[in-house]
Amino acid sequence: MTTATTSVIDRIRAGEDVASATHPEVGEQDAVLDVDRFSLWYGQSRALFDVTMPIPRNGVTALIGPSGCGKSTLLRSVNRLNDLIDGVHVSGSMRLNGESIYDDGVDVIELRKRLGMVFQKPNPFPMSILENVVYPLRIDGERRKRVLNEHAERALRGAALWDEVKDRLHGSALGLSGGQQQRLCIARAIVADPEVLLLDEPCSALDPVATGRIEELIGEISSRYTVLIVTHNMQQAARVSAFTAFMYMGRLVEYGPTEALFSFPKRAETEQYVSGRFG
Amino acid sequence: MTDAPSHELHHHHRRAAADVSGNERASWLSGSALVVALVMIIGLLALIFYQGGRAFWPGDIERVSVSDGSVFLGVDSGEETIGDTEARRIRFLVGNRDLGQQSYRWVDADAIASRSVAGDAVQVERDAWGVFIGEPRSVVVRDGSGGVAETVWTAEGGSVDGLRRALREASRRRSAIRKLSEEELPAIERAIVNLGFRSRAIERRVDEPSAPRLHPGLWVVALLVVGGAGYVAVRVRGAGLRRALAVVALAGIAVAALEHPWSADGLSEAAAARKQTAIAERVARLESERDEVLAEIGTLRAEDERVRLVVADLQGRIAPRGIATPDEPMVASEAVGLVGGELGFGERVGVYLRRWWSYLSRSPGEAPGSGGIWPVIQGTVVLTLLLTAGVMPLGVIAALYLREYAKQGIAISAVRIAINNLAGVPSIVYGMFGLGFFCYGVGGFVDRGPETPAPMGQWWLVLGCVLAGLALTAVFASMGSRWGGVARRAAKWLGIATWLGVALAAGWLISQTPYFDGFFEDKLPEQSTFGGRGILWASLTMALLTLPVVIVATEEALAAVPNSVREGSFGCGASRWQTVRRVVLPSALPGIMTGAILAMARGAGEVAPLMLVGAVNLSPAPAVSGEFPFIHGDRTFMHLGFHIYNLGFQSPDAEATEPLVWTTTLTLIAIVLTLNLTAVIIRGRLRTRAFGVV
Repeated sequence: MTTATTSVIDRIRAGEDVASATHPEVGEQDAVLDVDRFSLWYGQSRALFDVTMPIPRNGVTALIGPSGCGKSTLLRSVNRLNDLIDGVHVSGSMRLNGESIYDDGVDVIELRKRLGMVFQKPNPFPMSILENVVYPLRIDGERRKRVLNEHAERALRGAALWDEVKDRLHGSALGLSGGQQQRLCIARAIVADPEVLLLDEPCSALDPVATGRIEELIGEISSRYTVLIVTHNMQQAARVSAFTAFMYMGRLVEYGPTEALFSFPKRAETEQYVSGRFG
Repeated sequence: MTDAPSHELHHHHRRAAADVSGNERASWLSGSALVVALVMIIGLLALIFYQGGRAFWPGDIERVSVSDGSVFLGVDSGEETIGDTEARRIRFLVGNRDLGQQSYRWVDADAIASRSVAGDAVQVERDAWGVFIGEPRSVVVRDGSGGVAETVWTAEGGSVDGLRRALREASRRRSAIRKLSEEELPAIERAIVNLGFRSRAIERRVDEPSAPRLHPGLWVVALLVVGGAGYVAVRVRGAGLRRALAVVALAGIAVAALEHPWSADGLSEAAAARKQTAIAERVARLESERDEVLAEIGTLRAEDERVRLVVADLQGRIAPRGIATPDEPMVASEAVGLVGGELGFGERVGVYLRRWWSYLSRSPGEAPGSGGIWPVIQGTVVLTLLLTAGVMPLGVIAALYLREYAKQGIAISAVRIAINNLAGVPSIVYGMFGLGFFCYGVGGFVDRGPETPAPMGQWWLVLGCVLAGLALTAVFASMGSRWGGVARRAAKWLGIATWLGVALAAGWLISQTPYFDGFFEDKLPEQSTFGGRGILWASLTMALLTLPVVIVATEEALAAVPNSVREGSFGCGASRWQTVRRVVLPSALPGIMTGAILAMARGAGEVAPLMLVGAVNLSPAPAVSGEFPFIHGDRTFMHLGFHIYNLGFQSPDAEATEPLVWTTTLTLIAIVLTLNLTAVIIRGRLRTRAFGVV
């Protein structure tokens, strides 16, 4: 670690506000999700510090950073899952296609229906594969069998799972392997055509082969959906994403095109982190 | 064998040796405690299975000569040593209580001069006086004057099979009589009594003035409005509006039902007379039916009375028709079973199974220990199923609130502790509560309506307040989510306060329902229907008693559902209720079934509270029957636990009923096991369905 007194890390640790080094290329993109000076507190302790971050449309944006840096918190703020935790409050704003996420009177349920989310651990529901996939449609009141089946097939094909499960759609989803379960969760997340797909370390509980398949899948999906992915794995970020944001202790440290961030980072700390010398 | 975790050893490496021996001691100690517990449980079950299993096993009849010169017929039923001496004494079943002796006779083993199997003696099993052991002589048909008109069977030249055939014939007649006198006759008589009540009710209504009611036209308009609100409520999108409309519709339906225009109380003389005539006609029809049945019973009885079984003990005393008539032989149909004196193994098994079947399939007789326990089994099973049906929805919903909705904090912890403590309240306390609240309170209300109805104006005022309060609660609930900070918290507490007020006021409204004179007022004061002890109130009392068990088990099952699954559902845009209903409950269902199993086991085994709220020695009519409405919640019932208590402690001849205590206990355990096993199988199915074949 460098001992420079002006180190951003040291300044963050000292509690100073540090503006992020955001590459200009980000600003040129059409933002589907606009995070503006967003902060979040768990009771008294602050987890996010004035994060400002436009997420470009149709592409993969990766959030990287050491454990506890707030990247998952930021992701879960997008669909307001943090609301479920007692004592959470926020400041700043987030806009999804121009509509505020945190205004009073926003219907959280309707908001979540516009987003898809995949979690760290595969979390299929205790029901059949088919019912798992069409769950978001079911809770929205869709009952027509034909519509449900069509959507299920499209989503399962999109998640590269159709060929493996088409003969056992009515079998329990809990009988699938870990990798299959995670792809099922991706199918579930895309079945209702989300505006942004949120992936929270989707491969951290999977073996390398399954991880490879999911990464491939993310690549395919990104042509149709905007993907925001939290990952612990820098190679993964480099492989799948177009843009990368590096976070540290609740601050956005650097944000830019993946290639630029990995090859010519503006901040020394980013370089140290992506090259594995810190973190 | 020590299972000390390695990290623990690592932390205390200096005391490692001491730890190992300490753990060893602990494992021996805990293991021994387990063994003691297991031995006691297995011993208990083994004792019950042994005693219950052997009670019906028939022994040979022996002719026993005692050294004092007496000779008797008896069945060896165990022996014991006398005090500290080596001497033994043997217990013989001798029966023949109507000849003035005890059912069992103890004889010192030394005092027995000889014993030999008496092959031609038989045990005649009867309902009224227990078993008669003796030698059968004949079956005769008597004529009117008491002489013998026909001899059906005699010991000379006739085989025991012939005797059996004759007795079977007689018992068929007996069961025909029983069906008529115990099922058909009481049903007819009940119907006549009920018509009597109705006729009196009509008489009462003749003089009553008609209460003012809504104009029929207005009533129809109101009904249309209510129906429209209900229809819109079903179709409209937007949860708040839908709920409000549903409330309006429900309130409207209640008012419409109360105000229905044809419910006027008064009755014109002419209409009353018309109704009375119709009732009188039906009574006359029923009475003639009753007379027919009575006549038939009379004929059958007379026919039955004529056939007599002559069976005598060694002293030549015959089994009498009654204790007052020692010289008249017993009526043949009194014999419900016949067991030979000397049995082969196959015959023994046959008698054993026949005795079990007759015990399980017959109704108990007047004499303690006579007859069988079929209605008792029925009562127990119905009570258990009703209590499960009562406790499960309530317990599961309460646990859902505690675990899924309520904000975890001091208040909820206090509620949880209180619920856990409820499980420790003595069951008799629940019995007292059930008797006071359900039987006399709610039951009395159902029977006769509110005791002192509030003035009508007051009632309508409170109804208005309730509706306004409901609307206010809805407003607070919807506002709260839009406001922030203090306003939000204030809205929440105001919402809770109004809701509690509404709930209290609604309770008052129901207890003061206007125009409501109870569903069974006509029968009062002679006969209470639900306003007394009965199986419905008993099962509700037991539901209350088992509620803590269900809540705790359900809470545990809900807590075991991983949070990631809930988050996944929320992430899909599901509401909390959708998440609970579609994801959490299916995952928790096997655990919830465990709660049901515990509740059933507890409920089926309780006795003390049941004695207060509805269990009886001998119920006049079964709680379940083919008569509409099939399950009669107002009737008292018999329960195996209470039956055991009666057999063991309330019977004048406890020695004779002791074997039945064991068989009844065995039956109770078998029923609890069967119910639990069914639930376990269902749970297994659910688990497979929810989690796939693993």
